[in-house]
Amino acid sequence: MPLLPQLANLGRKAKIVLLGSGGLTIGQAGEFDYSGTQAVKSLLECGHEVIVINPNIATVQTNPQPGVKIYLYPVEPEWVEKVFEVERPDAIVAGFGGQTALNCLIALHDGGALKRFSVLNLGTPVETLKMTEDRDLFAQKMRSIGMPIPDSFACNTEDEANNAASKIGFPVIVRAAYACGGLGSGFASNQAELSTLVRSALASSPQVLVEKSLRGWKEVEYEVMRDSQGNTITICNMENFDPLGIHTGDSIVVCPSQSLSDDEYQMLRNAAIKIIDSCGVVGECNVQYALNPHNLQFVVIEVNARLSRSSALASKASGYPIAYIAAKVVQGFDLLEIKNPVTEVTCAYFEPALDYVTIKVPRWDLGKFKGASRLLGSTMKSVGEIMSIGRSFPEAIQKAIRMVTENDAGLAAFERSTRSEKDLEATLSEPTDMRFYAVIAALRQSWDFERIHALTNIDKWFLAKLQEIIRCEREIKETLSSKDLSQVTAAEWRSWKQLGFSDAQMACYLLEGKGIPSTQANISHESARIRAARKTQHVTPVVKKIDTTAAEYPAKSNYLYMTYHGLSSDPGLGSLLQHKRSALVLGSGSYRIGTSVEFDWCAVSCSRKLQEESWRSVIVNCNPETVSTDYNSSDSLYFDEMSLERVLDICEFEKIDGVIASMGGQLPNRLALPLAKAGIRLLGHDAETIDTAEDRSKFSALLDQLGIDQPRWIAAKTKAEIDAFVARIDFPVLVRPSYVLSGAAMNVAYDRLSLDRYLSMAESVSPDHPVVVSEFLLGAREIELDGVAQNGDILTAIVSEHIENAGVHSGDATMVVPAQKLYVETVRRIRSAAHSIAKGLRLNGPFNIQFLARSNHIQVIECNARAARSFPFVSKVVGLNLADAATSVMIGKTPRLARLSEDDLPHVGVKAALFSFTRLADVDPLLGVEMASTGEVGCIAEDFESAYMLAMESSKVYRPKKGILISAGAESEKLKFLPWAKKLTDMGLCLYATEGTAKFLIEHGVTAQAVAWPGETSGIDPIELIRSKTVDLVINIPKNLQRDELTRGAMMRQAATRFGCPVVTNMEKMIAYAQAITYYPDFASTHKPKALPPYR
Amino acid sequence: MTSRSKCTLKLSNGMEFSGELIGAPLRASGELVFTTGMVGYSEALTDPSYFGQILLFTYPLIGNYGIPKLPEKMTIETSTGFESDRVHASAVIVSVDSAEAFHWSSRQTLDEWLKDQNVPGITGIDPRHLVHIIREEKGISGVVVPEAPVGERSWHSLFPSDSPAVFFDPGTHEVVRAVSCKESYRLGHGNKRVAVVDTGVKWNILRQLVQNNIEVEVLPWDSDLTKVDCSGWLLSNGPGDPLKTGDLKTRVRHLLNGHHPILGICLGHQLLALAAGATTSRMAYGHRSHNQPVQLVGSRKGFITSQNHGYMVDPGTLPADWEPWFTNANDQTIEGIRHKFKPFKSVQFHPEAAGGPRDTGWIIEQFVKEL
Repeated sequence: MPLLPQLANLGRKAKIVLLGSGGLTIGQAGEFDYSGTQAVKSLLECGHEVIVINPNIATVQTNPQPGVKIYLYPVEPEWVEKVFEVERPDAIVAGFGGQTALNCLIALHDGGALKRFSVLNLGTPVETLKMTEDRDLFAQKMRSIGMPIPDSFACNTEDEANNAASKIGFPVIVRAAYACGGLGSGFASNQAELSTLVRSALASSPQVLVEKSLRGWKEVEYEVMRDSQGNTITICNMENFDPLGIHTGDSIVVCPSQSLSDDEYQMLRNAAIKIIDSCGVVGECNVQYALNPHNLQFVVIEVNARLSRSSALASKASGYPIAYIAAKVVQGFDLLEIKNPVTEVTCAYFEPALDYVTIKVPRWDLGKFKGASRLLGSTMKSVGEIMSIGRSFPEAIQKAIRMVTENDAGLAAFERSTRSEKDLEATLSEPTDMRFYAVIAALRQSWDFERIHALTNIDKWFLAKLQEIIRCEREIKETLSSKDLSQVTAAEWRSWKQLGFSDAQMACYLLEGKGIPSTQANISHESARIRAARKTQHVTPVVKKIDTTAAEYPAKSNYLYMTYHGLSSDPGLGSLLQHKRSALVLGSGSYRIGTSVEFDWCAVSCSRKLQEESWRSVIVNCNPETVSTDYNSSDSLYFDEMSLERVLDICEFEKIDGVIASMGGQLPNRLALPLAKAGIRLLGHDAETIDTAEDRSKFSALLDQLGIDQPRWIAAKTKAEIDAFVARIDFPVLVRPSYVLSGAAMNVAYDRLSLDRYLSMAESVSPDHPVVVSEFLLGAREIELDGVAQNGDILTAIVSEHIENAGVHSGDATMVVPAQKLYVETVRRIRSAAHSIAKGLRLNGPFNIQFLARSNHIQVIECNARAARSFPFVSKVVGLNLADAATSVMIGKTPRLARLSEDDLPHVGVKAALFSFTRLADVDPLLGVEMASTGEVGCIAEDFESAYMLAMESSKVYRPKKGILISAGAESEKLKFLPWAKKLTDMGLCLYATEGTAKFLIEHGVTAQAVAWPGETSGIDPIELIRSKTVDLVINIPKNLQRDELTRGAMMRQAATRFGCPVVTNMEKMIAYAQAITYYPDFASTHKPKALPPYR
Repeated sequence: MTSRSKCTLKLSNGMEFSGELIGAPLRASGELVFTTGMVGYSEALTDPSYFGQILLFTYPLIGNYGIPKLPEKMTIETSTGFESDRVHASAVIVSVDSAEAFHWSSRQTLDEWLKDQNVPGITGIDPRHLVHIIREEKGISGVVVPEAPVGERSWHSLFPSDSPAVFFDPGTHEVVRAVSCKESYRLGHGNKRVAVVDTGVKWNILRQLVQNNIEVEVLPWDSDLTKVDCSGWLLSNGPGDPLKTGDLKTRVRHLLNGHHPILGICLGHQLLALAAGATTSRMAYGHRSHNQPVQLVGSRKGFITSQNHGYMVDPGTLPADWEPWFTNANDQTIEGIRHKFKPFKSVQFHPEAAGGPRDTGWIIEQFVKEL
């Protein structure tokens, strides 16, 4: 079937709205940039005009390009309708923007907007979506087609939930309806646990489902695609390493399944096809099962009738471009007429045959969230993931662990100390982010894996494979302590490499065997010797393609990985193709707090620019949630480790002319110096520049030499040095230990007591572990400069201003371009200092400098000789792609740059951070010097207030309509807020305030209602105000930035996140918000959406 | 890891690959073929159609879920996982075999089973490298040579014309003789009886007929078909060249004069086409996988099928009364034919699956309904 008649008969290009997923949060992350970007490409190819609605400014899908209009607006029905009004589109696709887009589509349908504007929903019908989302309807449907489902009851109240649990019997699982990432879900083994869960779930969802717990069962997923003709395929299946009970986003996932027989595989495949067919899904779909590990019994857990995180993973694991094909299917094309773009000769109607194994491992940053429970369950907690590819399970899992821990030594770096049996047993019996390492520890202590299986229910096949690794670990240790490296045979090297051991790992064993300390320098030295020794024996990896057909058909694929299980590299690869110069672009690795989709945007822009400039672009990355790992983002993609060893392997195989390490954030930047040392040419900044910018002492000395001020600091090796320093500069000070046992690394100490506490968290203060203590300016503005320099001259640099005062991490801060409240003189001084720094460092590529300013006095905090998080935001707001310009510089060209002045922009851009505290119960949502946000949004509008309103709404700080609960903190903050408090009450908002704030407001003539502190028995209970939604905004400003005390303020903040009430914890941010709200009392009805202008 | 003895794979083009021995320490030769199915290794190895072939698995991890216990005597219910009572492939090539298996249905590891079955295998081979060779050079054969072989896995007695040559090519022999039953037998109960011409029938074809309440009479491949009392005919799958089947083609042609429904599967499909008057030929490297897309001719409907064949019906050679039923969506080869007026049909793929997708199971059901 060709294009749908409704689109084909228009007689003109169809206008199709594509809904994005908004800012990245836990449970809804970069995978939707992958799916949206592929969908946009697919729709454009069919000659349509595409309108992307997504406030996530850091994504590739929000790049303006011919045929695509970008609306940086909240993905909420209200705003989408406004875009409908302006654009009058013909159709909408919502299957590529996660749960956010799906919920929005359902609301648009139910609210009649689709009908009113005659917008056709492409893909799975809304009725089907509602059925899969409503667990009761879903259960009915499954029963009607004879599909087994767990005993379950949809409950709207706590009482109903209690009744359901007594019918089913504990333990039960509670799931919230209409929520992605398992928000508000969990296991309850008794009445009390059930009540807690249900109450919290019902706060964010109208309905919960109470089900029989199936602990210990296997969890298996199938990715399914169905076209409008009913042709259905399963792209692949996936098996969780952990048994059922851990959210699939928090599970180690293996693709294809390893422990399923043909009978089981086909039984579940058949069921998936039957389900999808009977639901009438058109496009992509995911089915999750629980499978009894002792027989053929199974139950259907859930169906996601949209692209999901699993689909992105399946796409990367199988090589099948799921989103691209799905976008063709929703337009009416059938799978038989779509070509498989990987082979270009076979059709898209087939099921990929894999000849390798892939493993996804989640990346948790729970240590970054103080107080977060490490227990894993049905609520997702991970912030990123990696995928490894190998030709044996040990090879793949070892790669995976190195990728996710960003440590070349992988398993060797973990659990080296002997733990007590009791401790191990306890760790093994509960699923946490550290359990995998406990399994390794137990195997190292020669535990029988039957015992580990009994505690964890992890399939014995997986445990046996891990045991194989540990056995080999012993063999390596023994061999290397008894033999010289030159005596190790090729067969030995090869067998070790085939089990996945890295050179650095073997270096650790060698050092350990010889009793030499495993310092970084020693490991590097021994790794290099090991590399040389095995290369002498010709033990090197081979390069294989991921081609969807297991080599049955010749493939044009450029999607590659390296393995030691191979005799030869696939024909036609690598250095044979050297008619062009080639650059290796290092991607971002796993997303994590501090590295997110913005660096993928940088890497993708860089790769495309290289291709434009007739270079061969090679990318290495291991993050399946990215666009950079898409089959058409580069000339060659290595889905592999971002380690020194692997990057050298790639450089040697591909005969790379130079490496670009400045586009993927911190991880590749750390590789720059070792690469340069190994003789690899760096494109852009040279090694010395990077070293000087990164090394605190060298950079500080440079600033002194240039006469540029900086906050005073010391790297203290003793406690006495710290005391002397603090005596000189006084509190507050910023404390940064070089090694912390647990929790966040950086803190602001306001007094001796807190200083001592932070120091006690550090392992020690010693010459080996110095503590950096620096001056902390109160009330200073923070300003960033993002730009591109060439040979020490700045070609372009954009100033952005933080709304919050210094003290909030730049990744969490709200930023505005052009700056709104800076003195012209401050900006002049910043630019002047930047020019000196660029000269001094001989910057030659992308850079970012962070400044502090008080009055007109400026200080430099740091300079990153690499692209920064703010690059896509700044680029899109000013209309100049800084990543493109930087790429030109790095390959020795001078970019053609429009002479740019931020004052002549037609709009203002505001970037706001997005937080995931709702998924991390027990965490205080207070912001500080350590970054806590998981994503960001950026909006543009004709003035600051409008852009700010949009950015706040996009970051889920919704305009208050009823009341505000205020706790304003210090006297100075109360004073600042006072004029705005008046205006807010004038708008009809009720103010509730804690004791001191209420007293202050009332004394100054503002109507406010005093409330008690949490825990007090008399007076108005603030938690109840939040729970009952009497207030719909919480302003809670702490007295200072010490975030580690469990205060009454923290209880209110946590209550707000728990009950889904927006909470603002910074006064500058709040004042800007109040300014915007009061400036546009009818913003939603008066604002007319405007598309992002194209790049200049 | 226990240390294993060395083993060499020698190819007919002179190439040699060294690996390690699994299974029995016997020399074995055969046509080198690959399958891309990721599960179903026990089904594939016991599939009689692989007779005389060295089976290479492209999926690198084989044996993960072990081997179920082989029933003492074949019964329909207890033999899941097996498509006949023994391994028919000459030898097995895998990249990594699982030394242990923990699946609830597992009784043995792949290695143990191959030893029991007197079948050699070689591990530590790069399957992808071999697939490229098989794809580039047509008709590659090989021989698996253990370091210290204790004998031959040979069909010398069955095929005396075959010199003890190094490379056995099933395409040059009447190999159906080696896999067909020697005596006819009956299975199942029902009002209707289907006669199965056993050229190496997979058990799942029989199971599915029996499950559809059919009495099945399994006939040796060289039976006289004119004296059989039945309501329909099933021409089974099997190994080798459809032209090397004696006078079976002629005997099938007689059936076309009748009106009983006929269903041909795989080799049976090729035989039906030959009987109808079409021609067949050897393919470059065949279709052996669980992911072959076929399209129902004249519709936009497709099915994912399990396949295992090295010969095909030549396009454009079907007589006027016949038409293509299915075509391969990748290479447009004929995947099924049917008579325009009579209930004669055949498919190149395996509707009985085992292993592989079960999407076309309806074909057997439809056949049963037509009886």
